[in-house]
Amino acid sequence: MAEAPALSVQGLTTEFRIGGQWHAAIRGIDFDLGKNETLALVGESGCGKSITALSIMGLIPKAAGRIAAGKILFEGQDLAQLDEEHLREIRGDRIAMIFQEPMTSLNPVLTIGFQVAEALRYHRGMSQAEARTHALELLEQVKIPSARQRLDDYPHQFSGGMRQRVMIAMALACKPQILLADEPTTALDVTIQAQVLLLLAELKQLYGMSMIFISHNLGVVATIADRVAVMYAGEIVETAAVGDLFDRPTHPYTEALLSSIPRVDRTSDTLMAIPGQVPAINRMPGGCRYAPRCALRQPVCERPPALAPVSGSAPTHLARCWVRAGGDR
Amino acid sequence: MTQAAPLLQVEGLRKFFTVKRGFPNPRTVTVRALDGVDFGVREGEAFGLVGESGCGKSTAGRALLRLIEPDEGRVRFRDTDVLALDRQALRALRRKIQIVFQDPYASLNPKRLVGKALAEPMRVHGLAEGRALAERVRALLDEVGLPPEAAERYPHEFSGGQRQRIGIARALSVEPELVVADEPVSALDVSIQAQVLLLLRGLQDKRGLSYLFVSHDLGVVRWFCQGVAVMYLGRIVERGPLPQMFDEPLHPYTQTLRAASPVPDPRARVTMVRIEGEVPSASAPPPGCHFHPRCPHATERCRVEYPAWKEMGQGRGVACHLYDR
Amino acid sequence: MSAVTGDMAAAPPRANRALRQLLAAFNTNKTSWVGLATFAVVVAIAILAPVLATHDPIEQNILEKLKGPSAEFILGTDGFGRDIWSRLVYGARLSLWIGGVSILIAMVVGSLIGMVAGYFGGRLDIAIMQVMDVLLSFPSLILGLMVVAMMGPSVGNLIFAIALTAIPPFARIARAPTVSVKERDYIEACRALGYSHPRIMAVHILPNIFPEILVMGSLWLATAIRVEASLSFIGLGVRPPTPTWGGMIREGFENILDTWWLSMAPSVAILVVVFALNMIGDGLRDFVDPKLKGERGG
Repeated sequence: MAEAPALSVQGLTTEFRIGGQWHAAIRGIDFDLGKNETLALVGESGCGKSITALSIMGLIPKAAGRIAAGKILFEGQDLAQLDEEHLREIRGDRIAMIFQEPMTSLNPVLTIGFQVAEALRYHRGMSQAEARTHALELLEQVKIPSARQRLDDYPHQFSGGMRQRVMIAMALACKPQILLADEPTTALDVTIQAQVLLLLAELKQLYGMSMIFISHNLGVVATIADRVAVMYAGEIVETAAVGDLFDRPTHPYTEALLSSIPRVDRTSDTLMAIPGQVPAINRMPGGCRYAPRCALRQPVCERPPALAPVSGSAPTHLARCWVRAGGDR
Repeated sequence: MTQAAPLLQVEGLRKFFTVKRGFPNPRTVTVRALDGVDFGVREGEAFGLVGESGCGKSTAGRALLRLIEPDEGRVRFRDTDVLALDRQALRALRRKIQIVFQDPYASLNPKRLVGKALAEPMRVHGLAEGRALAERVRALLDEVGLPPEAAERYPHEFSGGQRQRIGIARALSVEPELVVADEPVSALDVSIQAQVLLLLRGLQDKRGLSYLFVSHDLGVVRWFCQGVAVMYLGRIVERGPLPQMFDEPLHPYTQTLRAASPVPDPRARVTMVRIEGEVPSASAPPPGCHFHPRCPHATERCRVEYPAWKEMGQGRGVACHLYDR
Repeated sequence: MSAVTGDMAAAPPRANRALRQLLAAFNTNKTSWVGLATFAVVVAIAILAPVLATHDPIEQNILEKLKGPSAEFILGTDGFGRDIWSRLVYGARLSLWIGGVSILIAMVVGSLIGMVAGYFGGRLDIAIMQVMDVLLSFPSLILGLMVVAMMGPSVGNLIFAIALTAIPPFARIARAPTVSVKERDYIEACRALGYSHPRIMAVHILPNIFPEILVMGSLWLATAIRVEASLSFIGLGVRPPTPTWGGMIREGFENILDTWWLSMAPSVAILVVVFALNMIGDGLRDFVDPKLKGERGG
């Protein structure tokens, strides 16, 4: 038996209120995040990958959204049941998050040094001098050149890539067990993206963290993930070890997504486009949610499929498809 | 495809912006957005312009349309000297060269019905009127894969991909020969991106359109374009046909870009190389070859002397001291 | 032919949408309905002045001077025995006319100046806006005073003076959104499509800044009516015996201690109109406010 997962999400369903009615933005999300593992949540906009991360962090806006069902087990506690005060103790301390837009995620009127040190003073009760020393170490760890001089600079004096490094330093300040990275390289140029991905992989080793990496870019996911969960319309439609997923994409959506990416490393004449669009949150099809866009649609797809093992692949390779997996049950 | 004289020929295009920075003692800073750029687009060809943000690729697209007036250089479209045109002639030329923008949310006037947005250019240029005009609007919508009812709606009622289709239809309304596509699919999800790329490719075949395709995505450029130029800090560092140029990149920067572009294959991880440094500011490019601070092959010469352009045969050219004979 | 029908088919949804947004804005801000109703009543009174007036507003009747309110003279009479109510309703005509025309002129000229400055930018922009700032630095009453003092009091000069004071704020309000809208891709697309500058400004920029101008218009109409009254009050307005509200306050002011109602009636009228216009302006501002816009389609 493998060791206990760092985080276990079971049947997570988060709903939003639209026009007085609650609609599930994500439904029945199940996954375990192993220690030192990088799990990538991948999908197009509106698939629910960011909602999943925000649910774990307890950052779903109370007025419009709620966690309707499911458990988020972390260190023996169910985060879905915790009140705001206890969540705050965990957030930024044992579970940290970095965002897509490093420009807006940093406060423009506070120095970098102050912002990195703040988490340490808040969560660890460090003195100002102590926190500053530690902040410097962190900035050096994320490879900001001449970090000592830059401690008193403001965010606008940093480039986008450097700002994302600062965000990473802030997230790592309290040595979190889990890092949630929501599209952390999407706003960056490719050469900078490559640097940040490499940095994240190195730091994950160094800190012994687990990471949930959210991305729409399958290329980036292939670069950094150990395991991948492909999301579509609020559900995980396929999950597998990274090698299995890219070798044997089984769900028709995963397959279509892969063949809709123009690749830089090989010439392909065919580029597949998925017809139609992701259904709106309040107009979800009753059965398989991908069925209306799917070329393999069968009458059975009128009923919602469950995640089932993919025959002939590793036991951890699951897909939510009547036609390609679980046809025998 | 005809290998005749290029449809568009750009030579020595230069554009410097001056901005005042700093408070309370502002300094005048010169940003070298375009520092002598040469390329050509052949008839029926899709030519890519790639590079990272701030390299000047978008400025190049706008400068040749004179949406931004270039400081220097020559732009020839067929037999027309674009930079010498007076306002009237320029307006007429703009029928022939159109632009599609990156952000489908910003490029459509939110207060105008789609049908009006498509009809207006044809009316302004006197291409159609009355019943014929309405008919052409419907045909344009059909050509980009939208239903006729779309004409009666506002841009905000459409998704990003559909808006991009509207933007393309608007560009096509004046029947251009060349379309400058400025990151036309970067704001879209991958599956939608593929739809729009297929649409653009279809138009290339059906209408014989040529494209200047500005993008940061090497994968998209490889699929869509027949030729490409790589820009770094306002200059073209390498130029050549595809796919040869991405399969065997000559310039170290092209090699770096190529290696850093993620590939959806976990086995390709090993090619992720360590990349040094960041793109310097275009207001203070390094002396010598602009890329030398990040280049693994940099020599003393690279620090002082900008490498001259060298033709390497088979339509390829590069600006790098490594290829001096 | 079909282009016309195309346009007509397009018109209803657009008008409906704007109207729906306007109604929504007015409904969240109920006082705007009060303002609108009040202002409508005042306009109606001004239009129907010949019907509503019980006496000739100019004819003097010295025997009936300084009478209090009575059945015959609803609001009493002034020092020349003229019926206050009749002068009030005729005064509404002139006050609204002067205010309305001057603001209309200011709206058109000011928006044009602001749009041109914002659209072309550069030195032209700086020059135009410097002039506007100079004009803006004078309080509108002082500027109006100077103009009328130089040119002499007449309805035309009054309109000119008030319009002049109101042009700079309209230029400012038109320039700011023009500067931001002209940077949008769709304006660049217009240039790429070969549209002329006047066309881009009239067809593509004006609709984007028009709501803001409308809000300003309703608020400045109130100011214009006040300025007109102030100028008339200090004797630089329309010459007596023509009734204007400001003029009536001045005439009543001479006997304020004995017959306070003479000044009271026109003062209340001005107060009501200014309040009403400000309420309308608040409602319109909510309509313009982007927070209430952006109805999601689908």
